[in-house]
Amino acid sequence: MKHPVEQERGKKFVGLPEFAAVCERVMSDLGLEQARGTVTNVPDERTIRYYLAEGLIQPVDERQGTASVFAYVHLLQLVAVKKLQAEHFPIRKIRELVAGKSELELESLLGIGTQAKRSRDNEAKRYLESLLAPSMSIAFGEAVEPEPIKQMRMRSAAAPPPVPSSAPDQTAVWQRLEIEPGLEVHIRSDYTPPTTSARTRSLADRIRGVISRYWKEK
Amino acid sequence: MTQQFPKVELLTTRAKLEAGREQTVDVLIRITPPDLNALNNSRPALNLSLVLDRSGSMAGEKMVKARNAAMYCVDQMLPTDRLSVVAFDDHIDVLFPSEPVTNKSSMKNLISHVEARGSTALHEAWVRGGLTVSEQLIDKGVNRVVLITDGLANVGITSTDEIVSQAMGLNQRGVSTSTIGIGDDFNEDLLLPMAQSAGGNAWHVVEPNDMQRIFEVELQGLIAQVAHTVSLSLIPADGVRIVDLLNDFELTDTGRYRLPNLQAGSPLEIVVQLRVGAQAIGSSLRLLDLRLGFTPQDARAAEVLRQAQTVEFATKDEVEALPINYEVVKASQFLMNARARNEAMRLIDVGQFTEAGVVLGASLHATYEACAPLASSESVMEECASLEELAMSLKDRLRDKMSRKRLAYSAHRIRTSK
Repeated sequence: MKHPVEQERGKKFVGLPEFAAVCERVMSDLGLEQARGTVTNVPDERTIRYYLAEGLIQPVDERQGTASVFAYVHLLQLVAVKKLQAEHFPIRKIRELVAGKSELELESLLGIGTQAKRSRDNEAKRYLESLLAPSMSIAFGEAVEPEPIKQMRMRSAAAPPPVPSSAPDQTAVWQRLEIEPGLEVHIRSDYTPPTTSARTRSLADRIRGVISRYWKEK
Repeated sequence: MTQQFPKVELLTTRAKLEAGREQTVDVLIRITPPDLNALNNSRPALNLSLVLDRSGSMAGEKMVKARNAAMYCVDQMLPTDRLSVVAFDDHIDVLFPSEPVTNKSSMKNLISHVEARGSTALHEAWVRGGLTVSEQLIDKGVNRVVLITDGLANVGITSTDEIVSQAMGLNQRGVSTSTIGIGDDFNEDLLLPMAQSAGGNAWHVVEPNDMQRIFEVELQGLIAQVAHTVSLSLIPADGVRIVDLLNDFELTDTGRYRLPNLQAGSPLEIVVQLRVGAQAIGSSLRLLDLRLGFTPQDARAAEVLRQAQTVEFATKDEVEALPINYEVVKASQFLMNARARNEAMRLIDVGQFTEAGVVLGASLHATYEACAPLASSESVMEECASLEELAMSLKDRLRDKMSRKRLAYSAHRIRTSK
């Protein structure tokens, strides 16, 4: 679900009354509970002025006539202040955490933007998920599921190499290289070869294991 | 933020080299990362997963101290950081997924209920911890799994090579791993290379009471990290050849040395030994071209710094009249001592304890001799005390496993200037 603040991304709010109204709507959608009686749950114009004076919200640098033009960053700052107040942070600490922070940092503080990050940054996640995939057991000599080997046997030499189900990146390019007549390896473009002799030995052992299991099954 | 490059110094034992003969020359490459104040930058945001062993062997003081250290970690983090905690034995529980560190009391409450039981599904727990981090990657922040264990991986994938290579793969995708081994039963041959290949730190907690201090150092390191994916290539001039790089860094796929992440306040010292052909008196020679690649913490793109080292050649008398730079001598000696520690480990593995003691004793003697003018410096005193203690510990045959770990971790610290 989208954070209520996100709907206001990129918008401008002309004048304090309009900004206060947006703040009120966002805060009530958010439903933050302020435990202390001295802290208002929904900030009014006076509270916003106080936050500006205290440096909790950065100064407005754009104007239309006499009206201040507030931006998305001001809204993020205000919501971050209210969130941290609800979590009993003192004003001094809140100022430290909010002042001078970028939109991205404030969004991260509010837990916004996770969905966008998921699609962008998840090479690491895909990789880890592939490590948990059952097909990994082939690589470690445990109970072997011979399916990929059988598939290889049925395919003609001209067929394109398969993309294993555990591939972390479906867009990666596979290349097939002949080791000797009758034996090929398929290498994905993002594959990293072992860098130590111990790991090279271990890889060679696993390849030997796969080949000998193939012969046994054949 | 203001972009600042690390400072690179190339130093030889004496400012000039002797003309007219072939010689081996130690070059100290000191890489000093920019400090955080100079960068005018607040610390990077942290995205951590603490992967905490709660197997049966952790019962008692170890579990209490590990819980306390994890709670200490919560206290030190900012609301702009993210934290998840995974507890594992043969079952794996994500105590809480990656969250901004705002509700510290509930995080600490969950950690306080972790109790020791069961066996050690180390690999899957590490993967689960990595998943919590990767689901919430912080752009330009430090995304890291901290694996805390006292035992051996004995459930699921247990192959050292495989886990190490997976940790390296994860680091290449933006999530590093640090490892904290507790006591004398864990597998240092897994935890050390795992952290080393995964861009993190390897720590050994000898006594449970050291746990909090180790956490402090790890957190300080994370906060001070200014660059990652650091690599070094060295191109010797014609007539010069690289004999050895004493730090024994692994090579990247492109044949460069893979260096540890750069941390403000922690210069990295590397010693390369060159074989230099005979040169004429008064001539100068460009010994070495250096290329340092790194990705600043607040950037996505890698930066490259290039530097060259040129030296002059003079008569023997003139060279001997020049002052000796003992920093170069010390760095070389300490790195040789790291190798001696590894040799001692190898000897322990084949049961040659006396020989291992002799190797360490020889290193101690060589350090006293080479670093005599620096004998009162803190680092030399510490190194000599460490060698002495290691040699002594070999005599207590009930603590063989601990001796081996001490050797492994102290060698690692020297090689990586940690």
